[in-house]
Amino acid sequence: MLNLQPYADPKYFIILLLALLPLAIGLYFGKRFAWYEVLVSVVFIFLMFDGHKYHEGFALIGYMIWQWLLVWAYTIYRKKANNSWVFYGTTVLAIVPLALVKIAPAAHWTHVTTLLGFMGISYLTFRSVAMIMETRDGTIKEFNPWLFLRFMLFMPTISSGPIDRYCRFVKDINSVPAREKYIDMLSKAVHFFFLGFLYKFVLSYIFGTLLLPRVEHMAMLSAHANGGWSWWLIGVMYAYGLDLFFDFAGYSLFAVATGYVMGIEVPMNFNLPFLSKNLKEFWNRWHMTLSFWFRDFVFMRLVFMMMKNKWFKSRVTTSNVAYIANMLIMGFWHGLTWYYIAYGLFHGVGLVVNDAWLRYKKKHHVPHNKFTEAFAIVLTFHVVMLSFLLFSGFLDTLWFHQHH
Amino acid sequence: MNKKRGLWWIFGPVILAFVMVTVLLLVPFSLSQISNKDIQEASVSFSKNVFKGETVKMHAFNDPNTHYVPFFGSSELLRLDTMHPSMLAEKYDRNYRPFLLGQAGTESLTHYLGMQEMTPALHKKQAVFVISQQWFTKRNTKWAFPEFYSPLQTVNWLRNITKITPTDRFIARRLLQQKQVSDSDFYAHLITKIKNNQPLSETDQNMLIIRNRMLVREDQLFSNITLTNNWNKKVKPSLKRLPNADNQSLLIKQADKLAKKQTDNNPFGIKNSFFKQRVKPRLKRLAQSQTNFDYRQSEEYGDFQAVLQEFAKEHTDVLFIIQPVNQKWSKYTGLNTKMYYQSVNKVKKQLKSQGFNHIADFSHDGGKKYFMQDTIHMGWRGWLATDQALKPFFDKGYQAPKYKINNNYLSKKWQNLMPTTNNLANFK
Repeated sequence: MLNLQPYADPKYFIILLLALLPLAIGLYFGKRFAWYEVLVSVVFIFLMFDGHKYHEGFALIGYMIWQWLLVWAYTIYRKKANNSWVFYGTTVLAIVPLALVKIAPAAHWTHVTTLLGFMGISYLTFRSVAMIMETRDGTIKEFNPWLFLRFMLFMPTISSGPIDRYCRFVKDINSVPAREKYIDMLSKAVHFFFLGFLYKFVLSYIFGTLLLPRVEHMAMLSAHANGGWSWWLIGVMYAYGLDLFFDFAGYSLFAVATGYVMGIEVPMNFNLPFLSKNLKEFWNRWHMTLSFWFRDFVFMRLVFMMMKNKWFKSRVTTSNVAYIANMLIMGFWHGLTWYYIAYGLFHGVGLVVNDAWLRYKKKHHVPHNKFTEAFAIVLTFHVVMLSFLLFSGFLDTLWFHQHH
Repeated sequence: MNKKRGLWWIFGPVILAFVMVTVLLLVPFSLSQISNKDIQEASVSFSKNVFKGETVKMHAFNDPNTHYVPFFGSSELLRLDTMHPSMLAEKYDRNYRPFLLGQAGTESLTHYLGMQEMTPALHKKQAVFVISQQWFTKRNTKWAFPEFYSPLQTVNWLRNITKITPTDRFIARRLLQQKQVSDSDFYAHLITKIKNNQPLSETDQNMLIIRNRMLVREDQLFSNITLTNNWNKKVKPSLKRLPNADNQSLLIKQADKLAKKQTDNNPFGIKNSFFKQRVKPRLKRLAQSQTNFDYRQSEEYGDFQAVLQEFAKEHTDVLFIIQPVNQKWSKYTGLNTKMYYQSVNKVKKQLKSQGFNHIADFSHDGGKKYFMQDTIHMGWRGWLATDQALKPFFDKGYQAPKYKINNNYLSKKWQNLMPTTNNLANFK
């Protein structure tokens, strides 16, 4: 049976673009064929979850019914009242399926994984949780089941983002870009597709498929003789980190480009992250839709809560605690392993140190010129790379799971 | 009008690129430029591209001036030391040059597929096949299969099938167990047909022709770009160390001299560098680590039968070389000697009963001084003993073999047969 994994091979792009052609022609002539767009999305989502992945397909359907009921019920409730505990409860219920799927591998619940797990569950959860929070804020006032489904199941971004916001998305989907603007979007889409090809199929292939296994092998061999450490780990760090970036940035470019062809301005996910001058800037350039999501729906809310309840006197302490909590939660979201959690902690502490340094710099007039900027970029890059080595789980394999 | 040009401006280059790539992939004439030097390098390069492709290999085997012979094997071929068959053939200008096919992890199934794209090189010609008992593990994990898997070889295998034989069905079943094959709709579909004894349709054949054209082109364009520098780095220095005359006693003297110098840091007769890097750091843990190794029952026996069937089909005159294990080392690691010899007997039964009588069995020589280079790979004296088997084989030249293939060797019953003397004698 035909099974199509998003953006995996040339065949996928050809089929995808042929399927989107009528939609693009329509948009060019000022018409949005909503029914056709939904048809194409449904067919592609079906082809993603058919064949041996059928159980993921059923999990997706069950999950959508669950979220649909939750968001719908909460919107009705919110029109009448605004009790915090109802809001917390709804949010928790929306997160429960994702939490179970994340706990399952660590707890060896294989049946939970087969029953609830499907590719993209994280990204759908981000979308629905954001909807619940924005409903509470009053930004979203009505529940439109049709738009809810189109937002949640927007095909180009269903498996791994970028994470769009409901209000922004609805504005796009309910309108047709002017022809000038649409031509501009098409030209960007072509650029993104080809940049994505370079990233994912050339650079990520070089770093991830050709280099990484070799340096990992060398690191394993030499670490044996040297008590778990080896200079090759530096090679593993660069190869893994660069592969991670080019693979994910390439994928994100495909998703954004496909969105543009469909006349939707899906937000960008990366903005030259390795040119960041400090860690805070890095998080504004790396996996941006995720870090903005965490900023708006975790970090800010934590800060507000702490200030409202006056947990800490100093604002610095408040934001430090929020940084660490925010990053730890992100770590837990990646999975319940020591290295994901350590990665979260690393970045939390990193942001705290970063903030302290920025305050110090302001107060003491530390010299600032081209060279210090270059140094800052190189330093930030290496701090980030080091965190990716932790994130890769290679240290775990190297130290705790070596079978030879 | 202005806006129309806008669209062309955006999509024109894309369309042009697609047209150019299609033309490049499908033009019917060859694009490869392979020199004699490239072939020489490729013969000792162990490049995966060469191994998976057909362009360089076929150039070598069609070479009118040098008689390249396929040497199938695994990690032992990588030990390019002074007495290696490639060095001896070059130094003494023998009437053959080994073209080494194999590295750590290449086992029978991989070789069977590799043979599919070089059938002219096997047809009524000579070949050498080095067997390692380590292939025949009980749980056949095929960990290295993905690394050496080549779609081009699979396409050639499918195209070579005229009438579906039991071997074809066996290979189909084995391939479908590999994730890389079962994940690809195109190949899984066709191979499932073979498994179910359904001939391929006209459309299937045409699809295979197009696939073949594209993959061959890819191979021609890319298979010799990652050639290594083994000829200059390994072969040339070795040639200088060899005595000028092709004389057995001089060679033995030189082999012993080199070996003595290179094995003085350990009691196992293992090459110093190997011992230092791979053994010493975990020497304690390795004691008695092989007591449970068992090579007697394995799916590999079925895969090996497929290889034999292919040789028989092409009437290839093959010399089989059975490698020993380092006796001192196997004693230290507790390898069961009875088990080991039983597995050797099983391989030999499979060979001899079907008429494969050129066998150089070194399984009893693992205790001889300087025979092994490390734990399981032949070295100085081992290669010289191999040379003593190779020389007469190639001096005689191609002799038409008389093989009688017995498909029972594909069966689960044979794969799982415990090779006691009785069981082997009774298996028909």
